Amino acid sequence: MKPAPFDYYAPTSVEEALDKLTELGYSGKVLAGGQSLIPAMNFRMARPTALVDLNKVKELSYIKPTADGGLAIGTMTRDSVVEDDILVNERFPILVNTIKHIAHKQIRNRGTFGGAIAHADPAAQLPAAILLLDANLKVLSKSGERWVKATDFFIGPFMTVLEPEEMLAEVVLPPMAPRTGASYQQVSRQKGGYAQAAVISTVTLDGSDRVKEARVALFSVGESALLASKPNQVLAGQVPTAEAIEEVAAYVAKNECDPGTDIHGTEEYRRNLVHVLVRRALIDAVQQAKK
Amino acid sequence: MNIHLKLNGKDTDLVVIQDESLLTALRRAGIWSVKHGCETGECGACSVLMDGKLVPTCVMLAPQADGHEIETVEGMSEINTIHPIQKAFTEMGAVQCGYCTPAMVLATKALINKEMYPTLEDARDALSSTICRCTGYVKPVEAIMRAAAMLRGEEVPPIDGGGIPMEIAFGLTGESDLGRDLPDFLKGDSGSDLKTKKDVKFAPWVTPESQTDVVGHPEIKVDAVKLAKGKPAFTDDINLPGMLYAEMLTSPHGHARIRNIDTSKAKALQGVHAVLTYKDIPRVIYASGGQSWPNPKPWDQVSLDNKVRFVGDRVAVVAAETPEIARAAVKLIDVDYEVLPVVLDPREAGKPGAPVIHDEPDAVGIPDASRNLVNVVDAVWNDVDKVFAECDRVFENTYYTPKQQQAHIEPHITITYWDEDERLVVRTSTQVPFHARRMLAPLIGLPVKRIRVIKPRIGGGFGGKQEMLIEDLAAHLTLATNRPVRLEYTREQEFTSSRSRHPMYVTFKVGVMNDGTIRALDMSVISDTGAYGSHSLTVASVSGLRGLSTYKADALRFHADIYYTNKAPAGAFRGYGAPQGMFGLEVIIDEIAHSLGFDPLEFRRKNAVNVGDHIPISTALGEGGTIEQYVLSCGLQECFDEAAKSIQWERRNDPKWRVDPERPHIRRGLGVATCMHGTAIPGLDMGGASIKMNDDGSFNVQVGATDLGTGSDTVIAQIIAETLGCRLEDIIIYSSDTDMTPFDVGAYASSTTFISGGSAKKAAEIVRKQIIERAAKILKTTTEGMYLRNRQAYAADGRSVSLEAVALNSLHTVDQQQIMGTASFMSNYAPPPFGAQFVEVEVDTETGMVRVPRMVMAVDCGTAINPMTASGQIEGGQLQALGMAISEGMEYDTEGNVLQKRFGDYRIYEADEAPDITAILVPTYEPSGPYGAKAVAEIPMDGVGPAVSNAIFDAIGVRLRELPVLPEKVWKGIQEK
Repeated sequence: MKPAPFDYYAPTSVEEALDKLTELGYSGKVLAGGQSLIPAMNFRMARPTALVDLNKVKELSYIKPTADGGLAIGTMTRDSVVEDDILVNERFPILVNTIKHIAHKQIRNRGTFGGAIAHADPAAQLPAAILLLDANLKVLSKSGERWVKATDFFIGPFMTVLEPEEMLAEVVLPPMAPRTGASYQQVSRQKGGYAQAAVISTVTLDGSDRVKEARVALFSVGESALLASKPNQVLAGQVPTAEAIEEVAAYVAKNECDPGTDIHGTEEYRRNLVHVLVRRALIDAVQQAKK
Repeated sequence: MNIHLKLNGKDTDLVVIQDESLLTALRRAGIWSVKHGCETGECGACSVLMDGKLVPTCVMLAPQADGHEIETVEGMSEINTIHPIQKAFTEMGAVQCGYCTPAMVLATKALINKEMYPTLEDARDALSSTICRCTGYVKPVEAIMRAAAMLRGEEVPPIDGGGIPMEIAFGLTGESDLGRDLPDFLKGDSGSDLKTKKDVKFAPWVTPESQTDVVGHPEIKVDAVKLAKGKPAFTDDINLPGMLYAEMLTSPHGHARIRNIDTSKAKALQGVHAVLTYKDIPRVIYASGGQSWPNPKPWDQVSLDNKVRFVGDRVAVVAAETPEIARAAVKLIDVDYEVLPVVLDPREAGKPGAPVIHDEPDAVGIPDASRNLVNVVDAVWNDVDKVFAECDRVFENTYYTPKQQQAHIEPHITITYWDEDERLVVRTSTQVPFHARRMLAPLIGLPVKRIRVIKPRIGGGFGGKQEMLIEDLAAHLTLATNRPVRLEYTREQEFTSSRSRHPMYVTFKVGVMNDGTIRALDMSVISDTGAYGSHSLTVASVSGLRGLSTYKADALRFHADIYYTNKAPAGAFRGYGAPQGMFGLEVIIDEIAHSLGFDPLEFRRKNAVNVGDHIPISTALGEGGTIEQYVLSCGLQECFDEAAKSIQWERRNDPKWRVDPERPHIRRGLGVATCMHGTAIPGLDMGGASIKMNDDGSFNVQVGATDLGTGSDTVIAQIIAETLGCRLEDIIIYSSDTDMTPFDVGAYASSTTFISGGSAKKAAEIVRKQIIERAAKILKTTTEGMYLRNRQAYAADGRSVSLEAVALNSLHTVDQQQIMGTASFMSNYAPPPFGAQFVEVEVDTETGMVRVPRMVMAVDCGTAINPMTASGQIEGGQLQALGMAISEGMEYDTEGNVLQKRFGDYRIYEADEAPDITAILVPTYEPSGPYGAKAVAEIPMDGVGPAVSNAIFDAIGVRLRELPVLPEKVWKGIQEK
């Protein structure tokens, strides 16, 4: 099956792109890497009437260090570029590890960092990663820019706060605190395939090995990527004992995710996976933090 | 619109449609190496290098390539040159069907450009975006390592060695020893393996230490170079003027009667040339399975019907100027459906009140359509109940195997056109060109003589193309429009509207003595054929044949009930019932061994058949008429030895290995399964070969055998080259064209090396005789003691004349004669190959995930004519079988919609997660096969499923009797324990 007919625009600047998006309104759709959108169109699950292709907008592709030790990533930066970038590897190794789980290199060569976030697939890695890393998102429209916290960005499956005339332009990652460990855990039937459940976590320890902050992001187990609140409530200020972590994992599996029954597994089984993966992710992150 | 790009180094302007993919734009521009395998970027066959990076082109719009550099394999070599990466792929046997080879070559190039010293892990990662259904990734990974070494300027070891002892190969030289009656030595006590073969009359020129020159050598596949170079070798790699594009309208309902179809709006669409429904073509009953005449019943299909029986069933077909118009036209067809209830479970289909799927009055040979009963198979040998009564213990359990999809990367595709003689040419991706021609004729109302079926290279088949699946629709459209017509399935249609493995519930009842002797086996099967009966009878029959021939017993009984359901029809799939039967057999055997306190390996060794053993179930099932089958050669015990050593079977007893202290939630285990298959259908399968000698002493060979990527052209050419004393490069082989080549049943039933190779050997022996006679005249000597070797004919006195001189003499000088020979071969014997399958598993006891780090299979395929292609079959087959064991299986919702419609959901093993796979060849000599060869292609499907289940039991004590072993099932098993 091939895509249904549509109009195609390939602006070469942000300004031109925003003009076009404003003009098209609800009939326009941004085309970034296309690795999710075009399969969906080929499968007739998406039928945009006009595509605004950002691939020729060179100014949206960059990775810049921020003064505080974080990073700013332009929305059209290819996943494989982020994955291979020295600064990203230095400052956010968990992001590299996460990206390596996105499909395969070939897809990551086309797929873009911002595209995956704006697509908001509940089974995708990057929305969860930016929740975990507490990113700030720069959103542009003809009337100017606005900043949205990652935690406010996703509102449902394939739904974000982006208005039709807006585009996601940049993702800013605040620096990781010292003594932060991180872990990526997933269960999937295929290495590069959709996860039945997946967890990314960070744990920051203080000088006496007590938890300063514990963050747990989940995906593939709800209507969008999720950030669990219980882990930090329970663990902050505490020594992260196996018992405490187990309590957190059990709670998150029961109360802080919403996996349905689908072809990938039943709800009961996937809650079990969340339980196991949250536990493993926290234990691993604590160990990493101590290194 | 126009785009400008740098294509293989050249500035190129392309006119593209803005909503087409880069894939179709490149192919239209003659870049045929870029292949269509899916529409979602998941198979990787369409990959190119864009600005040096590997990207899929099916999910890129053509305009997006504007201004970029695109590189494909067409840019990597010229005529007479080959890039080192392509060379490495050919030398390492990494090219099987070759459909995804260009993408793998590009992936390798991208990797080595970045990393000159890739690790094995890098190589696997680089290939992970290209799904290969043939190789199991073993040889492609090796090819990457070799290519990297070559590009670093290092010396790489030559690929040679092998061969079998001349005294074995030519011991019975002269008259062909093929197809003779049961050999006398079988009746005596001498075995038939290499070490014990006696009573062989050696040719006088054979010295004990000499080895064959071509047979037994890892020759480069004869088609490898063109495939690695991405030459236009496949069905779709052709552009015919005026070609129309066909599109099918398929049923959205699992079961419905068509009250009416209105095609007027579709016909009115500009660019539409034909819209066909059941109203437009004659109603001719047929069976689509590609089998010998007369096709087994039931005959329960017509090309287009007024009833649909599964979601994806044919409703109408359109031909139009472009694929886009054809698709638009399909949407304009109004169908008024009377939706009927569905039945999806074969265990429910025969119950009163179940919807009747085949209520048409004209179907032929359905035993009980009112109960959806397609076929019943019964076979008995001796009094089973009496023997059960004598047994110490009787075990019984039921086992289930899933609806696995063949998932060849090249979809079904057919192009039909009228030639200048107004004969219909059918260029099609088929395993059965001759059956397809015969079966097609009545459907389109043309005599067989007005149809020519051409089989180009095939991008994998695995049984999925042992079917006359879409040829009739394309042909009807060419008849309706008088234009060339192209019909190709999408990947989604491969899942909704193609064939698959028959799911089966197999119940085994086994009677044993306490000393571990198996006495009686009773097997009953419920098979699910889906909406049509294609292959249903024979697949069920093979499940019994294999389930009841591996172990000796005093009594055997088989019963199968095959039911229709409202699902996509099942058909032929590598293994053909054997994996279903062997799963049940090999798991219950394991259960019995554990229960009686035997080592599961020793229990198998004790009860398995051996040389000289009778296979009574074969005649009981009606295989080969009344001719009893025996085991003529058997290396099973050696297979057990070799494979057990390789997998380190004794680790089962090492507690430190079984539990990893670092990862306490992981348990390790090992599993084993015996494998026994058949080689061709006795008394039925036949192939022909034709050889003619050219002026320079080379030979043209025409064979009906259908190389679908397995390497059969190469194996046949090797047999001929050995027999004629020349090199493989002197053989120009052309396969499967109903106008040009002799008949062959086609590529199925593990028959090609044996049957088609047998015909090749017989034809070559005819040619050899003519060459020797001519050479004797030239040398003015007698033919006595004369032989062919090194492109020479040698007289007994040592003088020789070259084959070229023989050819020139014969063609041009005196008593002119075309040296040529044609022969066909059939066999009343179906010699079983044997195998020992071992699997290592790691089970995550908290998640139920099963990882298979290693698989080892040792196979006795007699003489491996080409050890490279034979091991390629064993490696790739094991991975396909692992898919069925661990992750593959089509599932349906309650309305009959298949849930897996794309590779991402269907989960085929990719390179980065595939286990370490080992293939071991255990040589024996099969006296009924060419140069001692037996089959190898299907047996690797048989053992992995049960070995995985048995290994999981070994690891965690949970017995899984259902495939695939999804993690959730394993987890539940652990919970219930």
